[in-house]
Amino acid sequence: MIQKIYDWIDDRVDITPIWRDIADHEVPEHVNPAYHFSAFVYCFGGLTFFVVVIQVLSGMFLTMYYVPDIENAWRSVYYLQTQVAHGQIVRGMHHWGASVVIVMLLLHTLRVFFQGAYKKPRELNWMIGVLLFFVMLGLGFTGYLLPWDNKAYFATQVGLQIAEQVPFIGEHLLTLLAGDPNIVGAQTLTRFFAIHVFFLPAALFALLAVHFILIRRQGISGPL
Amino acid sequence: MQRGKGMRFVGDSRISADKTSQVPKDYSEYPGRTEAFWPNFLLKEWLVGAVFLVGFLTATVVAPPPLEGIADPTAAGYIPLPDWYFLFLYQLLKYQFASGDYVLIGILVIPGLAFGALFLAPFLDNGPGRRPPQRPIAVSMMLLALIATIWLTYESAAAVDWEARKEMNKPIPPGETVEIDTSHPGYAHYEANCLACHGESMEGTAAGPTLIGIEYSAEEIADIAVNGTGNMPPGLFTGSDEELEELVDFILSVNEGGE
Amino acid sequence: MAAGLLAPMIRFAIDPVLQSQEKSGDLVNVNLSVDDITDTPQRVDWEVQQVDGWYESNINRTAWVYKDENGEIVALSPICTHLGCFVSWEGSEDYPNEFYCPCHDGRYYKDGTNVPGTPPLRPLDVYEHAVENGMLYLGEPKPREGA
Repeated sequence: MIQKIYDWIDDRVDITPIWRDIADHEVPEHVNPAYHFSAFVYCFGGLTFFVVVIQVLSGMFLTMYYVPDIENAWRSVYYLQTQVAHGQIVRGMHHWGASVVIVMLLLHTLRVFFQGAYKKPRELNWMIGVLLFFVMLGLGFTGYLLPWDNKAYFATQVGLQIAEQVPFIGEHLLTLLAGDPNIVGAQTLTRFFAIHVFFLPAALFALLAVHFILIRRQGISGPL
Repeated sequence: MQRGKGMRFVGDSRISADKTSQVPKDYSEYPGRTEAFWPNFLLKEWLVGAVFLVGFLTATVVAPPPLEGIADPTAAGYIPLPDWYFLFLYQLLKYQFASGDYVLIGILVIPGLAFGALFLAPFLDNGPGRRPPQRPIAVSMMLLALIATIWLTYESAAAVDWEARKEMNKPIPPGETVEIDTSHPGYAHYEANCLACHGESMEGTAAGPTLIGIEYSAEEIADIAVNGTGNMPPGLFTGSDEELEELVDFILSVNEGGE
Repeated sequence: MAAGLLAPMIRFAIDPVLQSQEKSGDLVNVNLSVDDITDTPQRVDWEVQQVDGWYESNINRTAWVYKDENGEIVALSPICTHLGCFVSWEGSEDYPNEFYCPCHDGRYYKDGTNVPGTPPLRPLDVYEHAVENGMLYLGEPKPREGA
């Protein structure tokens, strides 16, 4: 039955090459922790992706309760954390996941760096990886404003003041990020929400797609 | 390698099935024992992921995510602190060479150089050798940056009294208002000795935390009032022992009412 | 693995469905003296506190209150059981002595029973009520069986 459905689709859209690209390849011995335990360093990239998946899922569920509004943001977070079943776990996944993803990303970056895996032909993928790192830091920065607690408010104010000190464009940059040249408030929160939930994830997915496509195209770097 | 079923689409723009230059490398050219990704290796990855997930979920259950009190732009005494992964930047801006007139060095030049170098690493370190000993400059720069970042983060984190911070910024549940009995004999002492820092209705201010929902015994409250704790200096309470007793009684009564 | 990951999230998402639906049956003083209730339905407005997740607010409620033939107080919900429009007593000149819903010409007899052949499928809801110190207290609207 499944074979028939597969054949029906394959007859029309030729999915076999796609399947081969995704799954039908060999994993070399030097990255396989089953043969060399030290190869566990190759796991960090995959674990980063896994945590990103956790972040996306828990984030999707959190928006079921969260409102990006200065009156209600904190109350909704407090409500979902204290009143809703498992709210503490789901918010915990998102909160701690943000830290874990940075740790994993750092370890992955260090692995690639110290193995010199970014050398020809993989320069492009390294640069995309660094951009991914920036996107991830941006997600962290915009994310912790959202609960609208004291930490969020004051840390964001510091961040915005840093942005303001950039020469020439500083004030415009501040206004662009905060929505208002003087107030960190309602407009800032909605902007950060939009950036955190739509703009940066879109950039993240696009970069991740290119990252993975390049890995499949170039293969994993050989043993040292 | 024959791919697909060999059919052709109208206006086919795909790489033709005969063209082999785009076909990924055959991994059999690597030495040693290779393993099929699907399903053998994926199963192992799945196992690693499952173990990781169990650990992660356990951590989230054990450690509830922190939430401080609702943002209060007038809380002048609040010391802002970013998440841990921005602490190194935060700490950097504390140094003289990276602040004041030189702030551009702190916010643009140093991070710009560091991240720019990271971004362009493949072109700065463009020798053929991949082993760390073959590229001592790149590796030592990276180690230096890494140590600097860890050290800055540590310096920043070590200067913070995390416990006191947590205690001071506990969220006050919404709608939980406590009746303050101003006719209580202890209220006058509260007004005279504590109100300035702990707020008119014990809600707490930037200078002192809320006294609602505290879990101290009578002796502990009396001790704190006289000897201080954390950021609270000793000697703030100036009344007699009798007045102290009334004050403690008052604070306790408010907390019982709040339950 | 997916189950371990998704279980808390799904439980989190469906929480409102599993929350106990029991409403607080607190009766609220609607500031209407029992003596002022006549046998003609009159409109009564009052406020109740509504807790909507993290959002607490006062919402307005309305009832049509009258005394039936036996002198019993009846407080009918003005919400049409068809599609939720607002029903008025003698809202149409064509149908005296009936409740009338302007949206789809739904009609109800004075006791709240829907007129057969009009869109509503069941009678108007009835508020729980009580009388204390001569004042009327109203609670939650309770649905009744169809006619």
